[in-house]
Amino acid sequence: MTDTLLDVRGLSVRFAMPRARPFAPRRYLHAVREVSFSLRRGRTLGLVGESGSGKTTTAMAAIRLVSPWQGSVLFEGQDLLRLTPEQMRLQRRNLQVIFQDPYSALNPRDRVGAIVREPLDLLEIGTPDSRTERVAELFSLVGLRADQMALFPHQFSGGQRQRISIARALATNPGLIVCDEPVSALDVAIQAQILNLLRRLQDELGLSYLFISHDLGVVQFLCDDVAVMYLGQIVEYASRQSLFATPRHPYTRALLDSAPSLERRKSAGYRREAVVSGDPPSPVNIPPGCAFAGRCPKAAALCRQTAPILQGPQGQAVACHFPA
Amino acid sequence: MAALLEVTDLKVEFSTRYGDVTALDGVSFSLDEGETLGVVGESGCGKSITALAVMGLIPAPPGRISAGSIRFQGEELVGAREGRLRRLRGRDIGMIFQEPMTSLNPVFRVGDQIAEAILLHQDVSRTEAAKRAIELMKTVGIPEPASRARAYPHELSGGMRQRVMIAMAISCRPKVLIADEPTTALDVTVQAQIFDLMRQIQEDYGVAIIMITHDMGAIAEMADRVAVMYAGRMIEEGRADAILDHAGHPYTQGLIACIPALDPEVAAADRPPPLAEIPGIVPPLHLLGKGCAFAARCDRAFAACTDMPALKGGPHAVACHAHEPQQQPTAGGA
Repeated sequence: MTDTLLDVRGLSVRFAMPRARPFAPRRYLHAVREVSFSLRRGRTLGLVGESGSGKTTTAMAAIRLVSPWQGSVLFEGQDLLRLTPEQMRLQRRNLQVIFQDPYSALNPRDRVGAIVREPLDLLEIGTPDSRTERVAELFSLVGLRADQMALFPHQFSGGQRQRISIARALATNPGLIVCDEPVSALDVAIQAQILNLLRRLQDELGLSYLFISHDLGVVQFLCDDVAVMYLGQIVEYASRQSLFATPRHPYTRALLDSAPSLERRKSAGYRREAVVSGDPPSPVNIPPGCAFAGRCPKAAALCRQTAPILQGPQGQAVACHFPA
Repeated sequence: MAALLEVTDLKVEFSTRYGDVTALDGVSFSLDEGETLGVVGESGCGKSITALAVMGLIPAPPGRISAGSIRFQGEELVGAREGRLRRLRGRDIGMIFQEPMTSLNPVFRVGDQIAEAILLHQDVSRTEAAKRAIELMKTVGIPEPASRARAYPHELSGGMRQRVMIAMAISCRPKVLIADEPTTALDVTVQAQIFDLMRQIQEDYGVAIIMITHDMGAIAEMADRVAVMYAGRMIEEGRADAILDHAGHPYTQGLIACIPALDPEVAAADRPPPLAEIPGIVPPLHLLGKGCAFAARCDRAFAACTDMPALKGGPHAVACHAHEPQQQPTAGGA
C-alpha cells in the first residue's frame, strides 16, 4: 500500500433537485453512490461508463472540484475533504485536470503562453523569470514550438489546443492528473498523437492519471486498472488484462460487444448477439436491487430485490449476483 | 441498371475572407438501391458538405456548386428549382443529423413533429398523420409510443431522440437516407441499438443509405462500399472489405492503423506498444496547393506527388502516385 497515491473510500455525491412545491420534501439526484478505488503512483486508473454513469462526477469529487456528500479521499495519506480552503488551494498544485473540449477549456482572449503560465502565477511557484522559462520548457515537452506562445487559442487546431491544455496541467508538476475524455473530441489520427503523448509524459514524469473515457479501445491502450461505472456505482473493478480477457459483469460484456470494431463486418453478415436494450434508470428514482437489472439479459428476481455488492478477488471485483 | 443516385465531378466552392476556397473537388460516386455507402474522413474533409450538396442544402451565399452533376433517378438536381428540391427532400431523400437535440424543435411535441413531416409530403388528414406518427415511433422501437408522442424533445434520452429523427426521416419511405454521423453523440450501447435499427430499416424498406462517419468501426459494421475523403477530394473508393483489409492509400492505411482497437494481444500486454500516428494535421483548405494534399504528411511522398493524383483503378480506386494496383485480391475482396 506504500505506493498508493489516491485512495477513495465510500465516496457519494448527491445534487439537490428543485422542490416540486414549497415545503415539499427535497429530492436528490444520486450521481455517485459509495464508490471506492485506489490509484497507484505512476499508474492509470480508467473510469469507464456511459453518459450519466457518474464517472466525471466521481473524478471531480475526488479532487474536490465537486463537493462530495460522504466518503473520504486520501491523497498521499491526507484526507482532502478535511482540508481548509487555503490548505486545499495549496494542494491544487498536485491535482490538475485536462478537459474534454479543447475549444472551451482555453480562454479565447488570452495568449496561450499566458494560459500555460497562469497556474504558476496563481500558486506562486518560482520567480517570474523562471516561470517564463518553465512555460517554454512545457511547450517543447508537449510538442509545440516556443515561438507559438504569443498566439491565441483560435490559431491552433483541436489537437494542438489539447497539447496546450496538457502543458497547462503539467505546469505545476502535479502528481495526479484527471483526464476527462481528453481525446473524444479529436479526430482519430490526432487522438493517436495525444494518447502517445500522454503515455510518453507518464513514462518520463512518473505521472498518475485518473482517466475518464467511454471508449474501451482508448482505455485498453492507456489504463492499468479499470473501474466500470453504471448509475453512480462501480460494477466491475479489475486490472486491464483481466477486464478485457474475462469481463465478468453483464454490463461490461455489453460495452465490449457494442464497441465499434473493424472485425464486425456487414459483408460477413455480422449480427450482434444480445445488445442491451433501453436506457439506464433515472438517478433520482434509483430502483431497489441492481441498477442494471432492467436492461440485463441475465436478470432474475433476486436482482430486482437485492442490490449486489462489489466483491471478488483483488484484481477483478464485480457487483453482480450472477457474474460470468 | 442505372444507379439510384449518381454524383459526377462535384465541385463546391465557398467564398471566404481567404478568397474562394474549394471545399469539394471532383467528387464522384454512385449509390444503388438498398446499399450503404460509407463516407469516411476527418473533420473538414468535406464529407458533410457532400451530404448537404446532395440535399441541395449548401448555404448560398457563401457556398455554391460550381461544377458537376447530381442525378437522382436520372433527374439532374444541380440547378433544379428550389420548389422541386423541397419536394424531394424528406420525401425521396431523408436525412438524419448528428445531434438529435438541435435537429428537433424544442417547443413542439415529438409526435407532432413526425406528423408534420407526413402532412408536408402526403395527402392525409391530421388525425391520420398523428396515427401514422405513432406507428412509426413503434417501428423505430420507442416503447409506449402513444404516450411518448406527447413528449417534448428534452424529455427523451439521446437515443430516443435519434429514434424520433429516424422515424421522421423514414416517414415518407425515402429511397435514399443520408445519415450524417448519426451516432457520434450517443453512447456505445445506444449506438449499437441505432445501427441495428438502421440495418433493420434497410432490410424492410430497401432504402439506400449514405452513412457519413469518422469511425472505421461504424464503416465495418454498416457499409457495403466506402469512399475515403481527404481535404475535399475522394482519395479511395471500393468495397468495404477491400478498403479495410487492403487499403491502398497511405492516408487510409494510417487512419486504420491509428485506431486503438480492442485487441486481445494489446489487452494482455504489460505495456501496449505506442499507437501508429499520422504526423501533422489536415492542411487548411485555403492553403491547398496543386499537388496531393496528403503529400506533406506522407512517408511515401516523392517527386510526382506535386501533381494531383487521379482516382483510378477499377472497383477499388486509389488516388495515389505511390500506389501500384497490381494486387487485385480475388479472395475476400471485389
